[in-house]
Amino acid sequence: MSGEQSAGDETGDGSDGKPGLAAQRDMEQVYQPAEDSKLLADAVVERVGEGDRTLDVGTGSGYVAARMREAGAEAVGTDLNPHACRQATEAGIPAVRADLTGAFDAESFDVVTFNPPYLPTEPEKEWDDWMERALSGGEDGRAAIDPFLDDVARVLRPTGAAYLLVSSLTDPDAVRERAAANGLVGEEVASESHPFETLLVMRFERAEA
Amino acid sequence: MKEDLLDIVCCPLDKHDLELDATEREDGEIVTGTLTCTECGETYPIEDGIPNLLPPDMRDEAPA
Repeated sequence: MSGEQSAGDETGDGSDGKPGLAAQRDMEQVYQPAEDSKLLADAVVERVGEGDRTLDVGTGSGYVAARMREAGAEAVGTDLNPHACRQATEAGIPAVRADLTGAFDAESFDVVTFNPPYLPTEPEKEWDDWMERALSGGEDGRAAIDPFLDDVARVLRPTGAAYLLVSSLTDPDAVRERAAANGLVGEEVASESHPFETLLVMRFERAEA
Repeated sequence: MKEDLLDIVCCPLDKHDLELDATEREDGEIVTGTLTCTECGETYPIEDGIPNLLPPDMRDEAPA
């Protein structure tokens, strides 16, 4: 804490080795990569091909998108949160502020990833700020997962696949049923046990593919 | 945003194509401008290089 920060240095460029105030504010309001992000990215990069067109939904810091790009894919990120869009852009990921896959053309992607907000949350505690929104999946934990599954098949190319991070707290069987209702078949491709939950990565593709 | 992003984005309301009107460009990227739906005419802003394609009714509900 030795740097001289002039008052009003709202857009510090990090020349003192620390992120500027605007960047710090973004950090506080954007979900930063954790075990779930890493589990999802590790599972996906094994399966992504050179030049694949990929979309990372709820991209946050852009971590999963950046991992796919390192693996040779073209990656785009999307998030509701304007701070997340900025952070992903700074990480070199083209970002679009949008609601899930709703602003993307049909059959645009080989791979779509989503590390959703999935913690079941009491209604009165919900969505007070962007960080809460990044974590809370509504009363059943599936408030973002269900609409994602309802639209994702539209934006996948015929042989494309969606990778969704789910938790044992989110009732994976209900997730599978919702996917099936949308013509998607799923398989578990990775899992990791934690003290209060098991994290799973599910891969979905079109049933007729 | 790069212009080729237009190949994969659409109007969130009716999924039709968007027409770009760039007011500021830098290094080949669009910094400021608008995207207008060729079907319904809804306009979406591009600010700081990031297109905001939230449906209009979601633009304001979000926390600051």
